[in-house]
Amino acid sequence: MADSRDDFIIAVRYALLKKGAKQKFSLFFLIILSVLIITLDRISVPFITSSRAIINDIVYHVAVVVSTPGKFVKYIGQVKTNHFYIVEENENLKKEIKLLKLNRYDNLFLKTENESLKQALKLGGAKNRDQKSSVRARVILDQESPYLKSLLINKGTKNNIIKGMAVFSKSYLIGTIVETNYFTSRVLLITDLNSKIPVVIQDSDVNAILVGMGKKTELDLEYLPNEFALEPNKIIYTSGKAGFLAAGLPVAESYLNKKNTVHIKSLADPRQASIIHVTEGQFNK
Amino acid sequence: MSILNTSKEIFFNNIAAIILYIVSFSTFQGLKEIPDLVIFSFNLQMIIVYYYVLKFPDHLGLGHIFLAGLVNDVVIGIPLGISSLSYLVLSFLSSYIREVTLRSKMTSEWITFIPALFFSNFIYYLIINNFSHLSFYYVDLLRNTFFTFLFFPIFYFIFNTFHTKIYKI
Repeated sequence: MADSRDDFIIAVRYALLKKGAKQKFSLFFLIILSVLIITLDRISVPFITSSRAIINDIVYHVAVVVSTPGKFVKYIGQVKTNHFYIVEENENLKKEIKLLKLNRYDNLFLKTENESLKQALKLGGAKNRDQKSSVRARVILDQESPYLKSLLINKGTKNNIIKGMAVFSKSYLIGTIVETNYFTSRVLLITDLNSKIPVVIQDSDVNAILVGMGKKTELDLEYLPNEFALEPNKIIYTSGKAGFLAAGLPVAESYLNKKNTVHIKSLADPRQASIIHVTEGQFNK
Repeated sequence: MSILNTSKEIFFNNIAAIILYIVSFSTFQGLKEIPDLVIFSFNLQMIIVYYYVLKFPDHLGLGHIFLAGLVNDVVIGIPLGISSLSYLVLSFLSSYIREVTLRSKMTSEWITFIPALFFSNFIYYLIINNFSHLSFYYVDLLRNTFFTFLFFPIFYFIFNTFHTKIYKI
């Protein structure tokens, strides 16, 4: 019994402290170093925070170079897939254009009517949204991990990007800035589990929290009233509560899936975003 | 000619570290890039660390494992040091298994990969839960761990073949 315990202790000690012929560090030393780094990162010492920002910038740029072959293979695959669907999409678009042309005439009539009614009521023109400080950025890395659905962009504190700014792709909200470095920033996507946005549902006064599900474009609503049943084809807008984002930004829509149950998906596909707009103009100040 | 041979030798001696760094920088998730095979994501870093520390400890330095873990943390966006610690725990268990094993067999090494994976992932999730505000789906991670275990023999065979061909062991 004592012998087997001694053997165990010897094996553990050997595994922890023995350095191989080409090993420069012992396992024990590196484990202690890891624990130290975790602790320092946790307590956010200013020196560590700035060092981390520099390390992040360097690692992100190397990661962009390293992931280029993978991106190229992915791109080839996408081109191939797109080619097969392009004819079908073309047909659909032609039908859509016809429909839009018809709608345009209706809209023109409504717009004219609206303007004349405003003039009659002396309300004046609608004020434009505050669009200042919009920064255009490029997605440099969109690697997904099981822990964080995020994008890395090529603009950082140098371009006045700050934590909490809203990120848009094709006019739709896709996420918020959660980490800033000097040259780069990280965008937490709305599809991530950690993303929580106060929203309101179209044609109702129901408020809820839109949360990511860690999947492609699927989202979920939390804190809905018990008696409320979500209908398909409803747009979900930001409610602007807690001053986080401006009210009325379209984020997601409900739809019926193949099993006839109502699900929610984001209006923009964050994985397809390549050029994005980072703005604080949409914030309530 | 000798320069070419030397650089070739350096490259082959450090191939494990090179692959580990590439995988960490590109956050390789197995077959996740292919939409139909998205569930077959696995952790190649853990397979490399376990295999090399177990079979060829002189071909993969612990310093490289530590650095690759840090790179992985930065790229993924989780607190620094978590992956490093997880990989080092895996290295420790792998090293321990190497010390107590008399006869090396693929099946026994595959089975001992289960407790090694369990402990390293346990450390990983324990720290993520206590040292960060991140939340994640445990089912996805369990699946990832399962496929890491399942694909181990494939990579065992590939690495073994590679070493047999290169070093004629």
